[in-house]
Amino acid sequence: MKAFTPCATIIIVCSAIFSMQVFGQKAQKLSDPEIASVAVVANQIDIDYATIAKKKSTNADVVKFAETMARDHQSVIDQAVALVTKLGVTPKDNAVSKSLQSGAVKTKKMLNSKSGEDFNKAYIDNEVAYHKAVIAAVETVLIPNAGNKELKDLLLSVLPILKTHLGHAEMVQKMYSSK
Amino acid sequence: MSTAWVILRNASCLLFSILLLNSCATSEKTAPKTYTVEISQMKFIPAELNVQKGDTVIFINHDMVVHDVTEDPGKAWTSSPLPVGKSWSLVVSGSSDYFCSIHQVMKGKIIVQ
Repeated sequence: MKAFTPCATIIIVCSAIFSMQVFGQKAQKLSDPEIASVAVVANQIDIDYATIAKKKSTNADVVKFAETMARDHQSVIDQAVALVTKLGVTPKDNAVSKSLQSGAVKTKKMLNSKSGEDFNKAYIDNEVAYHKAVIAAVETVLIPNAGNKELKDLLLSVLPILKTHLGHAEMVQKMYSSK
Repeated sequence: MSTAWVILRNASCLLFSILLLNSCATSEKTAPKTYTVEISQMKFIPAELNVQKGDTVIFINHDMVVHDVTEDPGKAWTSSPLPVGKSWSLVVSGSSDYFCSIHQVMKGKIIVQ
């Protein structure tokens, strides 16, 4: 069976997020409850990947990175939940969040099928690809669609976290590939 | 009053004034100062800080995630994990590079002048 590549991760996330834009004017706009759902799902997916990494990897750099991902993305979810609670908004499932979830099922299956060095490389490569795709989605879809100012501000403040994660993942990826 | 006495008195006053001014200037130069580095938007702000030995630097975590402040590269000192909203103080003993060991791309510098 062909390996599930980081490129495939980008395609899955981008096609999920951008699918509503492909049809231009006909595309439905994401509402704030839908944006909240996408934000929570996207963060939860990376926590799930981290959980697999903490279970399967013995590489100190990979495990430490996974611990950071789990902690940081949970903090973002906590902030998002606090905000929607304050605003009285209930996150609403939508095509984008469902597509992200189905893509994650495939990625988790791929990660679970690997072990040792192959797993470490697959996990870090996927983290680089996933963060690139999510950053693009937050910048070009979620922030422009957010109606509530506090929700927009939250998304804006999450961007530096995602970009730092990407830099960290690329650093581990580089260290790992030079071994 | 003799002229010599007046000259002596004026000279004494002048000498005292010079010594007093010099003493004030010296104490101002050496009094330890306190600086603040804010951790915000995944950055140390300011990322580079010029201080004197003995000054105090307070790091405050204004981000939504946990950070730390750790000497780089030897980890000679560290704040340990700094939760959201918490602060940590360092009395500067020398120039140091530092980073967040949780998010290793976050870096800063303390320069003792």
